[in-house]
Amino acid sequence: MTRRDLLAAIGAGWLVDASVPSARQFTGRIVGANHRVGHLLRDGASLVPDGEPERADIVVVGSGVSGASAAWRLGGAGIEVLMLELEAFPGGTSAWSEDGVVPHPWGAHYLPAPNPSARATLRLLEELGAVTGYANDGAPTFREELLCHAPDERLFFRGEWHPSLVPLAALDAGERAEFERFQQVRARLRDLVGRDGKPAFTIPLVGSSRDPELLALDRMTMAAWLEREGFRSPFLRWYVEYATLDDFGSTLDDVSAWAGLHYFAARKLETEQLRGSHYLVWPEGNGRLVRHLLDKMHGRREARALVLAIEPRPGDVIVHALDLSGDRPRRRTIRARGVVLAVPGFVARRLLPPALAARVVRRTASPWLVANLHVKRPLEPNRAWDSVLYRGAGLGYVDSGHQRTEPREDTIFTYFRAFGDADVEGTRARLVSERWASLAADVLLDLAPAHPDLAETTSRLDVMVWGHAMPRPRPGFLTEDGVAPFEPTPLLDARVAWAHVDRTGYALFEEANAHGVRAAEALAENLSAEIGASWL
Amino acid sequence: MDERRYLSPALLASVVVIATSGLVYELIAGTMASYVLGDSVTQFSFVIGLYLFAMGLGSYASKHIERDLLQRFVEIELTIALVGGFSAPLLFTVYTSFGAFRAALYITVTLVGMLVGLEIPLLIRLLEYKLALKDLLARVLSLDYVGALFASLLFPLVLLPKLGIHNTSMLIGLLNALVALGATFLFPLEHGRGLRMRVQCVLVALGLVVGLVAFDRHALRGEATYFGAPIVYATQSSYQRLVITQTRHTTRLFLNGQLQFSSDDEHRYHETLVHPAVAALGHAPKHALVLGGGDGLAVRELLRYPELERVTLVDLDPAVTGVFRTVTLARTLNGGALDDPRVTVRNEDAFAYLEGCKDSFDLALVDFPDPGNYAVGKLYTLTFYQRLRQRLSTRGIAVVQTTSPYFARRSFWMAAETIAAADFAIHPMHVHVPSFGEWGFVLAGPPGFAPPTTLLVPEGGLRYLDERELAGLFRFPRDMERVSVGVNRLNDQQLVSIYTEEWDHWQR
Repeated sequence: MTRRDLLAAIGAGWLVDASVPSARQFTGRIVGANHRVGHLLRDGASLVPDGEPERADIVVVGSGVSGASAAWRLGGAGIEVLMLELEAFPGGTSAWSEDGVVPHPWGAHYLPAPNPSARATLRLLEELGAVTGYANDGAPTFREELLCHAPDERLFFRGEWHPSLVPLAALDAGERAEFERFQQVRARLRDLVGRDGKPAFTIPLVGSSRDPELLALDRMTMAAWLEREGFRSPFLRWYVEYATLDDFGSTLDDVSAWAGLHYFAARKLETEQLRGSHYLVWPEGNGRLVRHLLDKMHGRREARALVLAIEPRPGDVIVHALDLSGDRPRRRTIRARGVVLAVPGFVARRLLPPALAARVVRRTASPWLVANLHVKRPLEPNRAWDSVLYRGAGLGYVDSGHQRTEPREDTIFTYFRAFGDADVEGTRARLVSERWASLAADVLLDLAPAHPDLAETTSRLDVMVWGHAMPRPRPGFLTEDGVAPFEPTPLLDARVAWAHVDRTGYALFEEANAHGVRAAEALAENLSAEIGASWL
Repeated sequence: MDERRYLSPALLASVVVIATSGLVYELIAGTMASYVLGDSVTQFSFVIGLYLFAMGLGSYASKHIERDLLQRFVEIELTIALVGGFSAPLLFTVYTSFGAFRAALYITVTLVGMLVGLEIPLLIRLLEYKLALKDLLARVLSLDYVGALFASLLFPLVLLPKLGIHNTSMLIGLLNALVALGATFLFPLEHGRGLRMRVQCVLVALGLVVGLVAFDRHALRGEATYFGAPIVYATQSSYQRLVITQTRHTTRLFLNGQLQFSSDDEHRYHETLVHPAVAALGHAPKHALVLGGGDGLAVRELLRYPELERVTLVDLDPAVTGVFRTVTLARTLNGGALDDPRVTVRNEDAFAYLEGCKDSFDLALVDFPDPGNYAVGKLYTLTFYQRLRQRLSTRGIAVVQTTSPYFARRSFWMAAETIAAADFAIHPMHVHVPSFGEWGFVLAGPPGFAPPTTLLVPEGGLRYLDERELAGLFRFPRDMERVSVGVNRLNDQQLVSIYTEEWDHWQR
């Protein structure tokens, strides 16, 4: 099967139908992230002031995990917020959809069992009933049906599926030995403590050691570190790169070794319950968490609201925005007591006056493609949640129906692909201009080695292109000039706090959640609002 | 119309029947061979080749028949009717009883092929006086090929699915006998011979009719055998392949190739599943829950207690409960238990059912297939047993099928440990079921409940269990004693790999 064949099958389904009885046509479209509207901002929209401004207490810009977390934290203290979201749907890169046989994610889709140090996230999980208690040593216990049901992962390796991502039995002795050595290094790093007494790597990042010897790892690439440590087998390099693509959208050559090692060493929980999968999984992915955060906020939420500028003044902040929800854009201004900016650096810099913009870090963002395939396939009693193809172009797919306990033939496969090379601009431009048929063909082609019949069992294939899915922790992301490592204050101004994960350049749920909570708490304190003890 | 240039419709029909039946016998042989021996391409190739070759032999041999053409033709037809007609039941019997299947197959194919090879040349010669050779050949051979087309469509689309292979075989034989009978009316006869030939024809036809009826009575309509026994019912549901086999004394149910019960000894299994649990409860259950067990055999045991009020049976597969409600031979086994007014049948996933369920039960019988894959394995996890516990009344009792403590000792004890971890007190049991070997259950109940010492069913009401055997159920000999394995959790399901490993060991 070639890409051309697939394109033909999608584009000219009726023609192919007539000649090849098995090729059935499926439908689909490009959904979500509205690049054109976003680019209104880049191309400059006018800021003509008009009539009397609306009033709001706190404006939260952005409804991704950090924005929703800030609103959740403020809601916990009874503080009202007005949340403005550019897209028609909430969640940022934890967006989700509910049309189809099972809810499904459009982005972040799991949460590894959080460390006890991720206190805000554990509080959230308690509220959700996902954490049921704590052992004497502080380790949380989880509601078991929310942990990923076995089997959680499988790898399509040399023509067949193997349980787990590491097909130990199929590796040759050298590869196996190297993998085992890597596991030893990993275990050592997980328990490693810096000279300042802090763990070398932990989550949220702010708790990690600032030992210069450890931070020095941030000045080399993960590829260089693997080379230095003598990890050279193709399997291990694939395995590590799979991780850096999965969490950072980056190949080994464009990611900081500190970040790469953090991925493997930051998760500390080891309990009897977590002998199996330690992933918390919902059909709609982390959208389930965002939904809860938004449910708990006080105030209101507006979709399709493009913020144009934030203008701090003595005594208040003016938010200039375009309401895009009607037929024609409508200008509006909002006078608020404070603003939580929960948008990435490249957006925040355009909204802020130059003096504040200068304090916002601009990160390289990785483009992603997510596809949801509505499929009806014969029951596979041992199908894993996460199916990965060794050396596939993408990261494989998760079965969004996996946590249902009843056997069902129809489900939704959520496919992910990170574009990890250094030319993010070129890739982004290409992706945004691609047509649906072409993107859909690429998805099917990538999965074809394991599922040559996928097109025939798919009724719908929707695609979402994320131009800026997540910050990429490139070498120097923690330590380069102008970026203080683990900068403690999110306040850019007395009334403006920045909550986005671009602050540390590291997109994990707990990180975004902590950033949102920290921004909310710092702002409330500055505004002398009663907010109680910190949730962090 | 000139008598010499005319072939009557009856004659033309006879040619088509002869041609059709010739091909059907070939297809029957090919089908039997591929059912029994597998590898259908090879089997069909061999059968077709041998059959055509045998037809060639028959055609050649036809030159040696010089006199009494009609009588020979009728005799050949009748032999075909007998050999071809009984070929499927014959091959089947050879396969199940004697074992020399290949030899019987090739002998039958050769014999039928030769006889069929004789038919057409003889028929042409019988008709020689009616038509010029070129017309005769054109008519007869074209009808021969039309018959072949007819057969090749009819066999897979109608005959095999509707009648099954045995009845098809005998029905076609009957047609051959009727053609022979017809021939005695269509062709001029020497005086006095007609009656004898007609009697022969009627006898053969009667024999085939008796065969059809007899086989129907024995319900041997199955298309193949399964683990050596004739299949009497087979269906593929969304979830599994369901096969029921029956020999003279024994009915067996297989799901995805795994034996679920044999009517010979299922009483041992179901008596052990049901009666100790009721005895532990101390009274007939008010509302019993049966999870799995769509065959209704456990429900049959429950219905022995007249004071029982309600049973809810939850089985995922409507195909299973459907068969055990409607198909006579399956229904006979459970005595129509699933249609008892006290019984409610729900076709749902048990895991999901327990989550949504608001009812409370005083007895739960958990009888799922073994945890051989992750989908079924979910029903053996801590989370599942916790949900089950929540649906039981305070003094409620549960009993769980937990595979063989002998063949899969670690699996058995892992399941037991998992049940105990869901806040049940447990008393593991085992029983010898000859078709299965040593089999195990876990009796589970409120903290401190004691294993039963007496049964509540009237003395002599059971075939296996009595109070002496009851005590034995709870005694585990050394080679099945408890081993500590750990708890089976939903996010891990170690039980699936342990179970697979243990059974692989015995199957190797």
